[in-house]
Amino acid sequence: MHYNDFVMHNITLAGENSILIYFGNKINAALPSKIALFSHLLKTTLGNIVIDMTPSYTSLHISYDLNKITYQAFINKVEILLNQQNNGVSSFKPKIISIPVYYDTEVGPDLNRLLLEKNLDIRLFIKIHTAQPYLVYAIGFSPVFAYLGEVNRQIQMPRLTTPRVTVPAGSVAIADNQTAIYPTGSSGGWNIIGRTSLDLSLNNPDNINKFQVGDAVQFHAITRDEYLQNGGLL
Amino acid sequence: MSFEVIHPGFLSTIQDYGRFNHGMHGMSQSGVMDEHAYCWGNHLLGNRFGDAVIEINFGGLILEAQIDTFIAVTGADFDFKINDKLAQMWCNVQIYQGDILSWGNPKIGVRAYLAVKGGLNTPILFDSRSVNLREQIGAKLTRGDKLPYKLFKKTTFRSIPTKYFPNYKKDVVLRLLPTYQFNDFDIKQRQLFFQQDYTVTKDSDRTGCRLNGTPISGKNSRMISEGISYGSVEITTDGLPIILLKDTPNIGGYPKIGTVFSLDLSKLAQRHPNTKVSFELMSVEQAQQKRKEFNTFFKINITP
Repeated sequence: MHYNDFVMHNITLAGENSILIYFGNKINAALPSKIALFSHLLKTTLGNIVIDMTPSYTSLHISYDLNKITYQAFINKVEILLNQQNNGVSSFKPKIISIPVYYDTEVGPDLNRLLLEKNLDIRLFIKIHTAQPYLVYAIGFSPVFAYLGEVNRQIQMPRLTTPRVTVPAGSVAIADNQTAIYPTGSSGGWNIIGRTSLDLSLNNPDNINKFQVGDAVQFHAITRDEYLQNGGLL
Repeated sequence: MSFEVIHPGFLSTIQDYGRFNHGMHGMSQSGVMDEHAYCWGNHLLGNRFGDAVIEINFGGLILEAQIDTFIAVTGADFDFKINDKLAQMWCNVQIYQGDILSWGNPKIGVRAYLAVKGGLNTPILFDSRSVNLREQIGAKLTRGDKLPYKLFKKTTFRSIPTKYFPNYKKDVVLRLLPTYQFNDFDIKQRQLFFQQDYTVTKDSDRTGCRLNGTPISGKNSRMISEGISYGSVEITTDGLPIILLKDTPNIGGYPKIGTVFSLDLSKLAQRHPNTKVSFELMSVEQAQQKRKEFNTFFKINITP
């Protein structure tokens, strides 16, 4: 990694009480933890004026209390912190989240098509999808929906041209070089390859902290019996 | 004791000032669509700025009051009645046990607010009482719902002078801050954007307001997703703007030409389809000054 990758940042106005900091201009596996680290630093030092923070791939969106500080003064404080961070003060510890998945056409309506197009058998497919931890690049679209990357080229698939009206909660899916789990039943256009038995919905409020940008997710395969025993629905 | 929902209307939900500090969990800001009408409602009752109210979209709501209190109805005019008699808006009104509160069809405006003294005491969901249907946080009102509030027998009468009543029929000029990818749109495209009258389409809701007009073009049609500000104006692949509102997802990947000043979004929230809207530039300094005056008047203070 070049030194320049670390010092590069660019601050843009995003609204009357919000800014966007770009930490790079390309998706890069080094950025999520760097952005997470900075948001922790920001919360501990400017927590009394920061209203909300949204990290995503290459950027951090911050809204602040305009009652207390002007745009220019806020930017100045952020610049100072960005320079401090480059000196390497770290407190963010990413976690690894284990997700059990029942990979089968019974719960993965796009699995057969994917196997056919990619000329893979299901065992090899599972091996590839579970071979590596995935980095959480962003959380959005809906609560607890984590965008995970980067998917091995051998199993990448573009989104469906027409999104499904309903995707069941827990569905594990692939779109291009990303994979994700639908925490609740919703509409969606990703290729569904299986389902987790975990309840990631907000029925369990603690789930809002399940994933953080910069964390890693490790999928592992479970059998149909294990899936059902753990409360998985068909 | 509570209001009991006799008829829920087209779309009535509990809202407050919004849900903050959950952007990193993938949540929208949520909260009332018309902050101006909402803040007046709470102010007229001497409530805290963030107290929960009912946002009544397109009317049709009927409630029964189970104990005495004071209310204030602001925003859209849906022929608000107490026991079948037209009642005053934009002031506080005493109501009694057994009173029937009703809202008819839209006359002027889109959303009315019912504020109650002390605020509605519905469950707090992730630090806010705001319901977000897209995120499955809470639900819209249905028949038989009970919305708790406290008994009050006394208050000081407060009203707004008629000359300060908003006029929801006027065309709207939305003041826009040059944010996000503003500079990526070339001068010609920006001129086209600022010089035309757009119209509000019926394809508008709490997530976003879609406008119709002459398309403009930008450099990129899709970008790396990034955090969205309330009021940011996306230019989608068809070249038309969508103004992103309270229930918009926290991140998005279309280029944005700017961000509308928040208090102008209150005006937009009351406009019917086919209303004409146009944009003019505003500086961040001016926007902060105006918003700060509003926050000071209504004692809005989000951070501790």
